[in-house]
Amino acid sequence: MSATGEIALAGRVFRLSLIYGALVTLGALFSLPVLWMISSSLHRLPDVFAQPYRWLPEVWQWENYVRAVTILLVGRFFLNTMVITFPVMAATVLSSALVAYGFARFRFPGRDVLFSLCLGTMMLPGQVTMIPLYILFARLGWVDTYLPLIVPALFGSPFYIFLLRQFFMTIPRDSEEAALIDGASRLRIWWSIILPQARPALATVLIFTFIGTWNDFFGPLLYINSPEKATLTLGLNLMKTQVLGSGVVEWNVLMAASLLVLLPNAILFFLAQRHFISGISMGAGK
Amino acid sequence: MKEETKQGWLFVSPWVIGFVLLTAGPMLYSLYLSFTASSLLSPPQWVGVENYRRMFADPIFYRSLSNTAYYAFLGVPLGMLLSLLLALLLNAPVIGLGIFRTLFFLPSVTNTVAMSILWLWLLNPEFGLINTALAAVGIDGPLWLQDEAWSKPALVLMSLWTVGGQMIITLAALQGVPKELTEAASLDGAGAVKRFWAITLPMISPALLFNLIMGLVGALQVFTQAFVMTGGVQPGSEGGPNQSTLFIVLYIYKKAFQEYDMGYASALSWALFVIIVLCTWAAWRFARSRVHYEGGAT
Amino acid sequence: MKRYILLSFLVSLLASCGGSPGDDRTIVYNCAANTSEIAALRPAQEKFFAHSGIRVKLNPFSGEEKLYAMMAAGQAPDVFYTNNAVRDRLAAEGRLLDLRPFVEKDPVWQRLRPEVRAAAVSADGGIYSIGNYTQTAGVYYNRAAFAAAGIAPPSMDWTWADFKAAAKALTHDENGDGKPERYGVFIPAHFIETLALMNHAPVTHDALFLQISAEEREVYAEYLGLMQDGVMPDLRRVQAMGMQAAQMLQAGRVAMLMESVLHPGLAETLTIDWAVAPLPRFGDKAPRYFRSASGGLSISATTKNPPDAWRTLVWLISEAAPYQPSPMLAAVPFVAAQVEKYPQLKGRGFREVWELSEQFPGGDPRYFVRFANWSMGPVMTRFQPWLDRLWSGAATIDEVVAAVPEINAGVRADLERQLQSGGLRPEWKTLLEQALADAQP
Repeated sequence: MSATGEIALAGRVFRLSLIYGALVTLGALFSLPVLWMISSSLHRLPDVFAQPYRWLPEVWQWENYVRAVTILLVGRFFLNTMVITFPVMAATVLSSALVAYGFARFRFPGRDVLFSLCLGTMMLPGQVTMIPLYILFARLGWVDTYLPLIVPALFGSPFYIFLLRQFFMTIPRDSEEAALIDGASRLRIWWSIILPQARPALATVLIFTFIGTWNDFFGPLLYINSPEKATLTLGLNLMKTQVLGSGVVEWNVLMAASLLVLLPNAILFFLAQRHFISGISMGAGK
Repeated sequence: MKEETKQGWLFVSPWVIGFVLLTAGPMLYSLYLSFTASSLLSPPQWVGVENYRRMFADPIFYRSLSNTAYYAFLGVPLGMLLSLLLALLLNAPVIGLGIFRTLFFLPSVTNTVAMSILWLWLLNPEFGLINTALAAVGIDGPLWLQDEAWSKPALVLMSLWTVGGQMIITLAALQGVPKELTEAASLDGAGAVKRFWAITLPMISPALLFNLIMGLVGALQVFTQAFVMTGGVQPGSEGGPNQSTLFIVLYIYKKAFQEYDMGYASALSWALFVIIVLCTWAAWRFARSRVHYEGGAT
Repeated sequence: MKRYILLSFLVSLLASCGGSPGDDRTIVYNCAANTSEIAALRPAQEKFFAHSGIRVKLNPFSGEEKLYAMMAAGQAPDVFYTNNAVRDRLAAEGRLLDLRPFVEKDPVWQRLRPEVRAAAVSADGGIYSIGNYTQTAGVYYNRAAFAAAGIAPPSMDWTWADFKAAAKALTHDENGDGKPERYGVFIPAHFIETLALMNHAPVTHDALFLQISAEEREVYAEYLGLMQDGVMPDLRRVQAMGMQAAQMLQAGRVAMLMESVLHPGLAETLTIDWAVAPLPRFGDKAPRYFRSASGGLSISATTKNPPDAWRTLVWLISEAAPYQPSPMLAAVPFVAAQVEKYPQLKGRGFREVWELSEQFPGGDPRYFVRFANWSMGPVMTRFQPWLDRLWSGAATIDEVVAAVPEINAGVRADLERQLQSGGLRPEWKTLLEQALADAQP
């Protein structure tokens, strides 16, 4: 290797190690909060307040997790969240796919205006509509039910409509045209031909909807009054103030419960990284 | 009507119906409400521009605006810088890229309430990790969420933890920069910094613009963290010490769903809407001259 | 997969529709989401059902804001807790059942302590809630710490000066870094009003607006002085959710703690050698020990079964109260029963402090301010930020007092708007208009 080559190599190694150093430092900073969470979730309550704090618990109190699970289960938070999440996932993906197909494959007057309008509503802050929607649902008697959280999913969601439309437009038309000639209805074509080919995009929508509904706080906060109908997010918020009857906040159990609530997201992410990333990139690519 | 037109409308009808029922209708009704005095049960009574007059004279409204502006104009640029830095670091050929990427991205898909509770504990002035770490290097940490000067920076710090989403977008854009360009530039003798400014930055500017706008719109609507971490139960205590974390959406929520002053809350939400539109438009204008679109502007 | 999606969707849609219609003798009670109280209520529920035939459905609840939403949606519970700020507002809108017809016929009314009865009457003469909890205030202290510091423990008659001296003597800063390992005392901010009353701050019966009297000002100055002298920890530091005040006493971070008597957490969790003393009196001023009734149980105006709701309310106040026998009732052996249930209360001064509070049947004067319920919300919304600034040192007491007219102007505007927004019953409207006209701004 020539002298310049060596210098270049040294330079590159140096740069790489700088980068590594930065990555490791930042990575450590980013993961500290969660490590701390795990650590304190296994402590006994007085040890949590001990100074100096010891990262490794003297007594590994696994009962904290038992209690957290009990509260989360007995409080029906977990079940309630599932009861909302699955219908919303199904309704969103189906309705958005329907609408996306309309925008992707049909030409009709006003289509482009409508599509721009659809995109435009993505930027709309929810606060402008939340009060009238609340009043509407209150008049309908839907307050303290899950209907206000599920029914809007029946009408499609702009972001997913956009995502799916882009995807549909990349599907070649041949199979559809053949089916049309055979006399199949458009709906049939949508169901049997387009959807199967769109599995990756559909999966992305399902995953994002799952995360969105699972983490939704504002919706349940507004519409759910009875604690027995509370979702996980609402339940965690309640737990913050009422973990122990005598008014003491049990941070260790609270951390355990928070960790349990975070877990499904993390697991889902690990299983479906590609979808996450492609979904986000697709959204940004406009 | 042509068959295709009919079918087309049929397919998009779910969204159209939803738009009318759940977006356009409520928006119009909300506009109407903003000119009335209305609680949840009594019928709205027309009061004209009274709500708006009250809003412009309301010191708490201005406080909430300044709080929100502080949070947005501190948090969004810092977030963009951090996400850009992380993306640049991850763009290098490092081993274990996947692990780091996961590490940085994971916090951004976590449940905001769980995250708020975690950070509530982290920021505890007595026992939290942050002050304990600062004490280890001899710094006497502030009271964070209990101190009116530090409560917003605390929330900004927390928001930096979730830059993973922006990082992914920037990273994707970085990886889309054609290597030929940067290689040609370095052959011409351009240093790393020069290459970054002249080539990389313009090439990823659409992604940066996206991050800016999404970040801004999100920051202006911050709610959950403030509610969970500083939303007290006693009247006057929600919004942190001296109302320092009373953001505009928190104020709207308080007025609408704690005091049931629906008319005034509607006026406030329209004010927020106008502000968001203005900010987005300003961001667009600022970007138009600086964002480079490969293959022409959209 | 598609079939599964559709199926789960339908199932959940069905599951989300509506709840189960209770039978006619079910009373829904919104109870505090307090696990030990709920656990205690369950066996009591069975007994109640056995001899009355009424099923009480417990709905653990938190946050009164949701109560209003439930009323709006026609799903109000039958019996629920209302606090002082909310009761009169709801009563004025006709959402609460006037309990006078029941009270006239039910012997339990005469059995209630006088201050519970007095607090139950609203400004229009109606009875919309009856207190379900009462407590007095005291100073819990670490006996061992007093002994170690060589000071005599508090007497039943001790003064504020004694109190301050003790606090100073009990503060330990061993390494001299300005941060004591143990503070002498901690007083939660909501006791300032109680101390102001000890200092004989006047209470105006018809007050609608915020008033800070000279006596109350003195108390604020004393409170700040305690923090500035370093004998009390920074209020904001303690307010951070973390170690509760009770834990501070237990862990030896403070030697004295002003808290309510009887406080469930303290009684159950303290393992140090503790005792409780009455509040110190100010100088030569006669002490005033009293009980506070912090809100009470109300019945919804739309309840389908008023007689059963009333019976449930009576049961909750008397036989199902968290502490038995219920302290709401006069002439019950409350102390004896508590000492029997919690043996650790024996010899701690609890009996003496409680009996002192029984000498003043008038009760907490603040709760007899006619319109306190009405204006508390608007006042606190404007006053709390000033208090925050006071505690952080950003404002002086003089500045806070100087801001009172501005606060009251805002409160007046709020109250006038509430009058205009409609939905108030005519009697209340007249009452409020009159009060606004009479009150000095």
